[in-house]
Amino acid sequence: MNKFMDILENILLPIADKLNNNRYLTALRDGFMVALPLIIFGSIFVVIANFPFLDRLISEDAYKAYQDALGPASSATLSIMGLFVIIGIGYKLTQYYKLEAIYGGVVALASFLILTPQVLGETTGVIPTFALGAQGMFVGIITAFVSAELYRFFVQKNWIIKMPPGVPSAVSKSFSALIPVTLTLTSFLIVRILFSVTSFDTVQNFVYTIIQEPLTKLGSGLPATIVAVLLIQLFWFFGLHGQIVVNSVFDPIWYTLNDQNLKAFQAGQELPNIVTKQFIDSFLVGMGGTGMTLGVVLLIFLIGKSRQTKELGKLGGPAGIFNVNEPMIFGLPIVMNPLVLIPWLLAPVVITLITYFSMATGLVPKPAGVIVPWTTPIIINGFLATGNSWQGGALQLVNLLVVMGIWWPFLKILDKNYYENEKGAVKTNIATQDETINISGK
Amino acid sequence: MKKILLACSSGMSTSLLVSKMEEYAKSVGDEIKIWAVGQDQAQSEMEKADILLIGPQMRFMKKRLAKFAEDLKIPVDVIDPVAYGRVDGEGVYRKAIQLMEGK
Repeated sequence: MNKFMDILENILLPIADKLNNNRYLTALRDGFMVALPLIIFGSIFVVIANFPFLDRLISEDAYKAYQDALGPASSATLSIMGLFVIIGIGYKLTQYYKLEAIYGGVVALASFLILTPQVLGETTGVIPTFALGAQGMFVGIITAFVSAELYRFFVQKNWIIKMPPGVPSAVSKSFSALIPVTLTLTSFLIVRILFSVTSFDTVQNFVYTIIQEPLTKLGSGLPATIVAVLLIQLFWFFGLHGQIVVNSVFDPIWYTLNDQNLKAFQAGQELPNIVTKQFIDSFLVGMGGTGMTLGVVLLIFLIGKSRQTKELGKLGGPAGIFNVNEPMIFGLPIVMNPLVLIPWLLAPVVITLITYFSMATGLVPKPAGVIVPWTTPIIINGFLATGNSWQGGALQLVNLLVVMGIWWPFLKILDKNYYENEKGAVKTNIATQDETINISGK
Repeated sequence: MKKILLACSSGMSTSLLVSKMEEYAKSVGDEIKIWAVGQDQAQSEMEKADILLIGPQMRFMKKRLAKFAEDLKIPVDVIDPVAYGRVDGEGVYRKAIQLMEGK
């Protein structure tokens, strides 16, 4: 068993190392981090605009006026989140190359807008917002990578206009960016023109059909979700931050699915997806952290006898309410502990299935597309994630009981081991003391 | 004043440890600055620190950050997983002091 675990760790650590330190995935992750405060701001106002029972308390007109007044908060942030992710990626990737990062950000944005159709029906001179949200997510990410790389390439080619000394540095900087920016944006303009003569018409359309749609379809399915969930658990089992590794691949898909739901939610249509960013964050992380360890904390309070687990419960409980569970993972420990491998892998898969099917059957509403901070406590985050519906919170409670049921026998054995060890340790202590007394007695 | 920087994925779980470390440092009368950041800020915050401690779940960050640490001439270490699980502020703090004095 030990040897097997060694081998597995030797495989997983380099993967984590590669994925985490890959400059594109790092830029992608950081790009989403840049967008996150704005996304959460928009989400807060979607939640407030759709406050439960409000539509029954006030007149229809008043309710509509209320929603319209709050609308811009989310339509300027959450609905066009692609823009912020693109700026973030362009900025972070350029920063990685130690070049003037803000240019990388705006060049990425401009490149993306060049590729975006600027017509809506008959009206020209407009940029349709749907192209800036979920629908443009993949083309945006790819554009940000390519534009930052092109920009770097042209800067490093050193085809820059050099200013004589004495010219203020800001002036020379703006000139030094001129040629690389021009060449990068021209490249994207040519790409746009080339695509306009194909049957795809736009690059957006091409990437959407060829890459985004198949990938999101795959990612919204149960098999891919279970694989992702198992991978996250497996990485954590070796004490490696699973989400940092797995999410950097899955986040573009999950956020896109999320945004599709938001659009439908705001339009009052049926929600298309079950698996979304918030499905993962609320129902798999939002119950005490990865592996839903709040259930384990509660079990410790219920059946824990050993000092070790009880201490851990006190330490891990308060943090667990806010879904921070490193004390549990490293303290129980879950890391490299064969005794808890089964519940650690099994519980999240069971919870994924329960959550998926209770949403598929309509028992619980699907995630409404808002992004709830992952540190939001259980029940509240289930309620918010499902568009202010109590069923979301109730489902988390049921899931919590299921987690506790799965962990029960395993925690009992673990706790018993610790308890007997502690008792044994106390006995040996007393025995050594006796001996000392005897020796001194002689 | 010694400045200790902790980093993990989002600076959440390391911040748990920060308060325990501060508690211990205060109890022995050390004047010290300890703070936690997310991985995206680790690199820029390092410039203000005398040592960087990485949460064990992010130990794969070490290789990348060690390069910058070398330039800044500050030590980098991965926090011991057991001490991390126990949120052992005293243990981690003493180890950090040792590493800083060892340079």
